[in-house]
Amino acid sequence: MPSHAATMAAPRSGPRLRTALLRRPAVLAVAGIGLLIVMLLAGVAAGTVTIPPADTIAILAHRLLGLDVARTWSPAQETIVMDLRLPRVLMAMTVGVGLAVSGAAFQGLLRNPLADPYVLGTASGAALGAAIAVILPFREVIFEFGLLHLLAFVGALTAVFVVYRLSRVAGSGQMTSLLLTGYAVGSLLAAGLAMAMYLSGAGLRQIFAYLLGGFDSASWVRLATAVPLVFGASILIMLRARSLNGLLLGEEAAAHLGVDVRRERAILLGLASLATAASVAVSGLIGFVGLVAPHVVRLMVGPNARLVLPLAALLGASLMVGADLVARLFGEIPVGVVTAVIGAPFFLFLLRRTRTGYEL
Amino acid sequence: MAAVPSPRARARSLPALLLPLLILVGCAVGSGTPAPTAPVPTFAATPAPTAVAAAFPVTLTDDEGTAVTIPSKPQKIVSLTPASTEILFAIGAGPSVVATTNFDDYPPEAVPLPDVATYTSVDAEKIVGLGTDLVIAGGNNFNPPASITKLRSLGIPVLVTYAKDVAGVLADISLVGKAAGQSAAADELATSMGAQFDAIRAVTSTATHPKVFYELDATSKIYTTTDASFLQEMIQIAGGDPITTGSTTNSEIALEKLIAANPEVIVLGDAAYGVTAAQVKARPGWNTIQAVQTGSIVGVNDIIVSRPGPRLVLGLLDLLRAIHPEIAPPAGLPSPVPAASPAASTP
Repeated sequence: MPSHAATMAAPRSGPRLRTALLRRPAVLAVAGIGLLIVMLLAGVAAGTVTIPPADTIAILAHRLLGLDVARTWSPAQETIVMDLRLPRVLMAMTVGVGLAVSGAAFQGLLRNPLADPYVLGTASGAALGAAIAVILPFREVIFEFGLLHLLAFVGALTAVFVVYRLSRVAGSGQMTSLLLTGYAVGSLLAAGLAMAMYLSGAGLRQIFAYLLGGFDSASWVRLATAVPLVFGASILIMLRARSLNGLLLGEEAAAHLGVDVRRERAILLGLASLATAASVAVSGLIGFVGLVAPHVVRLMVGPNARLVLPLAALLGASLMVGADLVARLFGEIPVGVVTAVIGAPFFLFLLRRTRTGYEL
Repeated sequence: MAAVPSPRARARSLPALLLPLLILVGCAVGSGTPAPTAPVPTFAATPAPTAVAAAFPVTLTDDEGTAVTIPSKPQKIVSLTPASTEILFAIGAGPSVVATTNFDDYPPEAVPLPDVATYTSVDAEKIVGLGTDLVIAGGNNFNPPASITKLRSLGIPVLVTYAKDVAGVLADISLVGKAAGQSAAADELATSMGAQFDAIRAVTSTATHPKVFYELDATSKIYTTTDASFLQEMIQIAGGDPITTGSTTNSEIALEKLIAANPEVIVLGDAAYGVTAAQVKARPGWNTIQAVQTGSIVGVNDIIVSRPGPRLVLGLLDLLRAIHPEIAPPAGLPSPVPAASPAASTP
């Protein structure tokens, strides 16, 4: 296991020992799971309406575990916990996992530390799709999903597909070509989005709310749709960690390691884009988590994708659930603002603390 | 590591650029945007003549065509638009209102009530926690459609109101009255408002209609009323010929287009934000406009002019005073007209 703990000299001083412990993947995994559980409980227990923790636990025990608990709570409190907070918290977790895993995958695939889930046009494509849906006069809602969600999902995937095809035609230097094509297509789509917003009249609020992102429309039905797509794609990416490690060394080195570069890259791109598209379709554009969660994990355990992917998923989920809780408590401020305010200082702290040079 | 610029940098700057536009829409959205140009009926006949209050349970069709069933007379009403708050208090349902938005400013009793909505969001958790049994929301994206769907999925009746035109306001007052169990008072209010609108129309219909530019905002770009809008209809009833943007969705008008249209009266809807006639006169290029040369630049209280609620008659009188200072308001109308000097501020 190529943990950096092994490479460090380990004199038995307190801080060093703690550092060494923190770099052990097993310790980090347990800590990550613990953090996520704490965040999930906090997310369900707290909100703009005060519900006693004992009642929250009783409601969860009654509804989830089927325990026969004496009713000390009101129907309104039960609705708040079961139909508002729980699906919302789980949705934040799901999207956090999707963005963190796909962010880690894009960073590895493109060998670029600035890559995030939105780098190849997913964000612009989803936003344009959502904006077009707001302008079109269709308000049908099937299964709690409207045209906005459908077009955001389709827009995100279409954008990546177009970028991929165009960059293959462009040829030389696959990675650079992919990034530059993504940039160009993204700019074009952003122009389309600006035009759509200009034309949208009163719909502008809805488009703007989508661009800011958030979880206030989470529900069980939406969760049931997003979970298989996001978790399915994320798990499949994790199963291809070996290919991702190979690609991180460069295309030639990967080929020497027996990785079918072209095929693996296409599959990983597709899976990461699928996780991203499903996430942005239900939550809007939430930045920062997909960029920073993988970096934070790499700073702690090094670049091995086998460790980075699952740990980034745990961290991304915790960060997103925590950020959503803060956003709710402060009166529905944009989640993306909170993720950046919480995440950026922590990331800078880790970056300054690392003694060895940081590599992707 | 090649430092390739992140496309996110560009994507991120986009919302910032459009924020001023959003704020503007936020201000203007209460007045609604597209409305079909239909022959204007007399308003006195608008409210349905059902004088008998419908007994609960009642099923109403709201302004988006959704059938909303209210099982019993609502005891805890949440209002998600300032206009519906004013309507509820005007028809005597005020004591049942338990929460409003954080930008409600009238009547004074409504201001200290708990806030459950902002310009962009609705706090469903608080609404459920209050034990709400009726929500009055705003259509045409005033409140996020997803929030309305969500509240309905939790079993809370949500009545969506959206007045496309002045007749729509009167219909909304009757609709809210039926939903809140105050049908008689609401119909009476709508009928008297309709009569007052007709009285004002009677005195303006024979007057000349000067070309009116209604300024929503001119801090960077110039914004005014769109075609076939609520505001445009208000100006017409007040005896003006509104200069519109030529679009039903875009509120922006180019300065050269405005100069070419040459308004005879400039009405400052942004007077509450400190815009004065002197400032307008000093703007480069504006000195060729007739209204600037004759000094016909008048401030109004934009909130009562554009908010589709029970104070609309006062707004119309404010517009009448601005456009036709020579016409005395018809007798028997509510008074006093709120002063709308540039110093008058709105909270």
